[in-house]
This record gives sequence, structure tokens and C-alpha cells, in this order.
Amino acid sequence: MDPILVTNILNVVYEITTLAVVVLGLAVIFGLLGVMNIAHGEFIMIGAYCAFFTQANQLPFLAAVPLTILVCGLLGVVVERVLVRPLYQRPFDTLLATWGLSLLLREVAEWVYGKGYKNVDVPLSGSSGLMGADYPTYRLVMIAVSVLIVGGLLIWFVRSATGKRIKATVNNPELAASVGISVTALSRNTFVFGTCLGGLAGVMLAPLVPIQPLMGLDYILKSFFVMVVGGLGGLAGLGAGSGIIGGVESIVSAVFDRTAGYTTVLLIAILFLWLRPNGLFTRA
Amino acid sequence: MASLLAHSLVLFAALAALPQVVGDFWAYTLALYFLYAIATLGIGLTWGQAGFLPLGQAMFVGLGAYLSGFALIHFKDSWLLVLFIPAAAIVPGLLAFAIGLLVFRGRTRSGPFFALITLAMTLLAFQIANSWNSVTGGFNGLKNIPGLPGIDGFSEFYYVSAAALGLAVLGVAWLLRAPLGVLWQAIAQNERRVAFFGFRVNEMKAVVFGLSGLLAGIAGALYAPQQNLVTPELCGFLLSADLVIWAAVGGRRTLYGPVIGAVLIGTLTSELRDQISYWEVVLAGLFIVVVLYLPQGLVGFVEPPLRRLFRRRKESSLPVEEKPRTHDRVTLEVDRLSAAAGDVRILQELGFGFERPGVYCLIGPNGAGKTSSFNVITGELTATGGQVRFQNEDVTGEPADRLTRRGIGRKFQIPSIFPDHTVGENLRIALWGSRARPLDLLKHSLLRWRSPILDELEKRFPFLAEHAKPARDLSHGQRQILELAMVLCLEPRLLLLDEPSAGLSPAETREVIDTIRWATERLGASTIVIEHDMAFVRELADHVFVLHQGSLLAEGDVESIRTNAEVQAVYVGGTK
Repeated sequence: MDPILVTNILNVVYEITTLAVVVLGLAVIFGLLGVMNIAHGEFIMIGAYCAFFTQANQLPFLAAVPLTILVCGLLGVVVERVLVRPLYQRPFDTLLATWGLSLLLREVAEWVYGKGYKNVDVPLSGSSGLMGADYPTYRLVMIAVSVLIVGGLLIWFVRSATGKRIKATVNNPELAASVGISVTALSRNTFVFGTCLGGLAGVMLAPLVPIQPLMGLDYILKSFFVMVVGGLGGLAGLGAGSGIIGGVESIVSAVFDRTAGYTTVLLIAILFLWLRPNGLFTRA
Repeated sequence: MASLLAHSLVLFAALAALPQVVGDFWAYTLALYFLYAIATLGIGLTWGQAGFLPLGQAMFVGLGAYLSGFALIHFKDSWLLVLFIPAAAIVPGLLAFAIGLLVFRGRTRSGPFFALITLAMTLLAFQIANSWNSVTGGFNGLKNIPGLPGIDGFSEFYYVSAAALGLAVLGVAWLLRAPLGVLWQAIAQNERRVAFFGFRVNEMKAVVFGLSGLLAGIAGALYAPQQNLVTPELCGFLLSADLVIWAAVGGRRTLYGPVIGAVLIGTLTSELRDQISYWEVVLAGLFIVVVLYLPQGLVGFVEPPLRRLFRRRKESSLPVEEKPRTHDRVTLEVDRLSAAAGDVRILQELGFGFERPGVYCLIGPNGAGKTSSFNVITGELTATGGQVRFQNEDVTGEPADRLTRRGIGRKFQIPSIFPDHTVGENLRIALWGSRARPLDLLKHSLLRWRSPILDELEKRFPFLAEHAKPARDLSHGQRQILELAMVLCLEPRLLLLDEPSAGLSPAETREVIDTIRWATERLGASTIVIEHDMAFVRELADHVFVLHQGSLLAEGDVESIRTNAEVQAVYVGGTK
């Protein structure tokens, strides 16, 4: 095949799969708890700063993974207890609270690290040949890891007992509680799981993007577009949403420029809100 | 109106005296933050009053500033500026209105979606401003913008800025005291109920958003000549966030909160940002606390909430006549109506109807589809098949506001009133719903409306005459009765009442039965009551429809239903 075509296709695949991982934590929290965590992008930012921190302290890149899980996990526990749990069933107030949280996290990051861009070196520099094209190895690994994370989560959710408990809780919290499921613990774990996923996405992306306090904004908006387009239909929604938003944005950006790509996906999201408010896939 | 006049005199006197007190340097800084305060007032309108939060308000400030900047650069000293500067403020308002129409149309309860869409738009606005070098000057922005013709120097501009702020505050104060303001607050409390009083909620929200865009546009249009420079940051995310923080900390639900927040927090921040490195962390923390626990913000400590100002108003009354009746008879035909949620079939070819006036009871076990049939009739649940005909016209799937204007009044199962409003305001919202044209909502005289039906209701239920009492202080039973009274004030021809006696005392139930009978005759209406209490049904029903598993099982008078073997079979097993 034509190497340029292969590279372009891989670029689109890369956009879509990484977008799916970026959205995953937000979608898990929104789908299961009904909480729109606007600070999700800031957890991604924290993950990226964790990667920067490990590099600055001459630790191996992978050390950022446990560090991020620690930081985002602890933060998730506190945030769930203080801001989210008192506000379940009040979606607008959770929106406000998590928006306030996103402000706070950004300001803290700026206070600690300043406004300037930070960079993390790409851990697997160099490129690999694939169907005649040379493609950066790290990106190929990211694509594989993203597919593994999303697929693994889905299989776990379908197969495991915890997955069944979560489904039960989503359908009927009172009934779930009355058959002995600890709804409080399950909700907390779900939220913390979501924030850790955000952090991990941040670690993955850190070597490829400039790290700065405002970086989360872009991710929260793209994730939101994915959810508007995909709806809450589990993996199908996530896949379709990421596919449409990630695909369209990377193609339009490549053909025209970034502003055009961004405008197009924004318009798509508005059209969906208007004409198909529940997205492509809804859960009955 | 006299109080508003006194109000404005004090306000303008204070604004005019300020430079003498604080000196020229501060007057220059204040002039800028006064402009931001105008934009923050808009956040107060949308978020504090109507209950939806725009996270991207700066795009309208930026748009106004760029437009006004172009006009000042290209038409310096031309008389055309008289047209162009106001246009620079109006265009953002129109844009906001259009965006509101577009976004609110799709979803009624669109809170988080609206916020995120506006956030996305402001980032887009920033990108466009930043990258469209040939027009916006790109990263460096529009430079050397001339000042307003005839306004010399910084100190004179202070008065322009102060006058604009004063006028904006007065305009907003006037709107908030008008029926329109009462309705905006009602939308924040219970959108669905407002729609069922016949108001086009989505369009009203778009109007609020349009006004907030106009205020932001005014701020922007004056920013350009004040700062002589417009950069992309002005439409960016950070200013959008600041506007929201200022409104919250100052007090989003109050008139002066947003103004004080913008001026106080804004100037404090510009002073302290460089001295205290964690100042903005503190501010973000403060925002979270205020948003969750102090909706009245700082002003809440000093000034009583705006609504208390309403209550000082002397009650006088302005009688309005009863609505003319357009039809002699009320006919409803529900024809093979089906509806589903996922795989669950809720209604299966449900059919019933009537031509004679009277009280019809809809009974059936839990899950028979009683409330769902109301939801389908009123267009809240989409019919997958069949038709609803009211007065011989197909009304299937029509939205709530249009059905209400056709003469259908619905009372919900859970009492739905506006707890933050007074009893009088609650009742008046219903009166306006049936009679006021959109522009009437600006007339303060509507606050004094009363109708013959309302008079009669107040005789039956004396607590309804306590107009100044906040509705949140009512008991559960009184709330049920208030909502019933509100629906009757619409003077509907078809009344849909969902368990109107739920949670009432026996005495209250008695009165409600009497009232439903009386109202049905008085209004020449037909009434459908969903009810579980068979004693209630025996007393009230002229005719009974029995629903079972989404279809009509039986109909007839109370006696024939009681002896119907099929109905007995359905009810055996203890389903109430």
C-alpha cells in the first residue's frame, strides 16, 4: 500500500483510539453515576504532570503509572466524598461543583509548575515499519494499549460479578442496596476508577503533547462531544462517538486546519443535541 | 415605579461621586471593571434567575469588542459610529439568542449540555480570533483603537462606563420586577410546570440568553475604546470563567451581587495576583464553597434577597375577565394509542373518549399506564401509534405549551409549584399563562391581576388569599391544593388531574372533591382524574375507565364497574 496513505490511516486510528481512552473515565462516571465530571480533563492533566514529575526525578517513564493511580485515586476518594456524594441526583449542582474543582486543580497546577509548557521525552523513540510505512513506535504501542484498556474493561464488565453489581445499581439503587450491594462503596469505587482512568490517559499522552495547566479543557470538550454523538450505549456508543469525533476532527484538520476541524466537530455535536438528543446509541 | 426612580437617583449619585473619593487612577481601573460588571450582570440573569449556566460568555464580550474596534478604526470621527457602536453590542445579543434557540430546542432539561456547548464555543471564538490574522490581527490583536469621539482621556471615560453600568443595572432591575422576571425564576424552579402553564419555555430561555449576550456585547463595545486594544484573550476561556466566579462570589441570585462581585473581586485580583502567588487557588476554593452553600453570595450577608423587595409591594388588584369559551362542548378521543420505553410496551392500542362534560375517573392497578396515558396525551411521551383528538383536532405529540393554550390543564402527581415564589406569584403565573401575550409580560400591572375564578377559589381555600406568603412554607396538602388552584386559574376545558387527593387529610379530600365538581361545572369542562382511592371515585365519578396493562379493560358508571367480573379479577391479589 501507499506509505502516505498508511500513515494517514494510522493517524486517524491513533486519534480515535486515544480519544476512546480519554473519554472512557468520563463515560464510566457519567454512565454509571449520572455525574458529569467536568474536572475529568484536569485528571488527565494531573496524569501528564505525574509523567513530567517522574522524568524530572530521573525515574523510568512507567513509574508514572503507579504515581498517577496514587494521586488521582486519593484525589478521587476525597472529591467523591466532599463534592459528588452529597450531590447525587442533583446533576446541575455536580456540574457546578466539578467545574469549580477543575478551576481549583488548574490554579494549583499553575501555582506549582507555572504557566509554561512542559515536555516529557518519548519513551520508545524511533519508528517501526508497518505495511511499508514508518510510524512512531510509541504511537503504535499507544494504539495497542488503548485497545487493550477499552476491550479489557468491556470484557471485565460483562463477565465479572462486580460488573453485574454495577449494572444492578444503575438500574435500581434501592433494590440493589436491599439485596446487600453496598451502593455507597460501589459508587465511590466507580468514581475513583474513572478519575484514575483519566490520569492514565494523561500519562499516555504526556510524551506527545505540551503539558500545561489548561490542557484539560480540550479533552473534556472532545469527550463531551463523543458522549453527545455516541450516547450512553456502552461500548457501541463510545466506539461510534470516538470514531465520528476523532475521525472527522483528524481528517478535517489534516485537509484544512485545526480551527476547521474543531468547528466541524462542534457543529456535529450541536446538530446531534438538536436532532438526536440521546445520541446514536441509548440504553433502554 | 417610585421606588425604582429613587433607586436610580441613589445609584447614579453614588457612581458620579466615586472618582472624587478614590482618585483618577482608581477611576480608570474601575471603568474597566464596571464594563466587566455589565457582562457579569448577564450571568446573573441566565444563571441566577433562569437557572442555566453559560460557561463561554466571553465570546460575546470579545465579539462586541472586535466589532466596535473595527468600527472605531475604520470610521473614526464619522457620524456612522452612532449606528455602529450600538450594533457592536446588539450583534452579540442576536447571536446569543440564535444559539439559545438552537440548543434549547433539542432538550428541555439541557443544563450541563448548554454549559459545555457554550464553553466549546468560547474556545472556538478564541481560536478564530487568534488565527484569523488578516481580520483580527491574530495574537497581537487590534491595536491603536481610537477612543470614543468627544470623550477625552481616562477620567472622562469613567463616566461613560459608569452611566452604562447604571443603565444596565436599572434595566435588569426593571425586568426582574416585571412578570417576565417572575417567570424566569419560575423556569429555574420547575421548567416543566411553566411549560404546562402555556409558556414557550425554550424561547423564553433563548430570550434570557440573548439579553445576557447583549449585556456582554455592551461591555465589549465599550471595552475597545476604553482599552484601545482588543486581544483574543477577551473572547477566551479565562474571562468566561472569571465572569462566572464574580457572579457566584458576589451573589448570583441578587441584582447587585454580580456587579459587586465583578468590581470587588476583579479589582482585588488585579491587585493581589502578583503579590500572593496562591491567590487564584484561594479564589477557586471560595467559588466551590459559595456555589454549594451560599447561593446569595457576599451580597446575601448584606442585602436581603431581591425577592423580599417584591413583598414590600402594596397589594392592589386589577380584575381581568373570564376567558371566552370557543367551544360549547369538550370532546376528547384517544384512538388506539400505543407507547413504549425500550422493550416495555407501556400503552397498547389504548382507546377511550367522551363528548359529554363531566368527571371521568381513570383507575387501574399500578403500572396499568394511567400516568403514562397523561404523558402521551400531553406530548411528553412519544406515541408509537394512534391518535389523540381534542375538540375534533389531531393534537398527537403537540408540546405542552400549545396544548395548554388549546385549553388543557394538567396537575401532576407530585405537587409542582414554585416554592421560591409567593403564593400570589404562583397564582398569577397561572393567570398570565392563559391570557398574557408575550409582550404583556413586560407590564408590571400584570402583577396585580385577579380573576373571578381566583376570587371564588380564595373563598374556598382562605390560605390562597395570603398572597405574600412564600410557597415553600405551605404544607403538603396546601401545595396540592395550590397546584390545583393554579391549574383552575388557567380556565381549562379539559382538566387532567393525577391523584389530586394524594397525601391529603380527610377534610382536605372532602374540599378537593367539592372543588373538582364545582370547577368542572363552573368552567364547562371535562375532567379526567387518576385515582386509587375508591371512596373518592364513588363520590366523584360520572363515568369510570379501567386500565389494565396499557389497554382499556372496562368502562361504565361506578356501579357497573364494581360488579364487573373482569375488573374484580384484575384487582384481586391485593394490588391497590
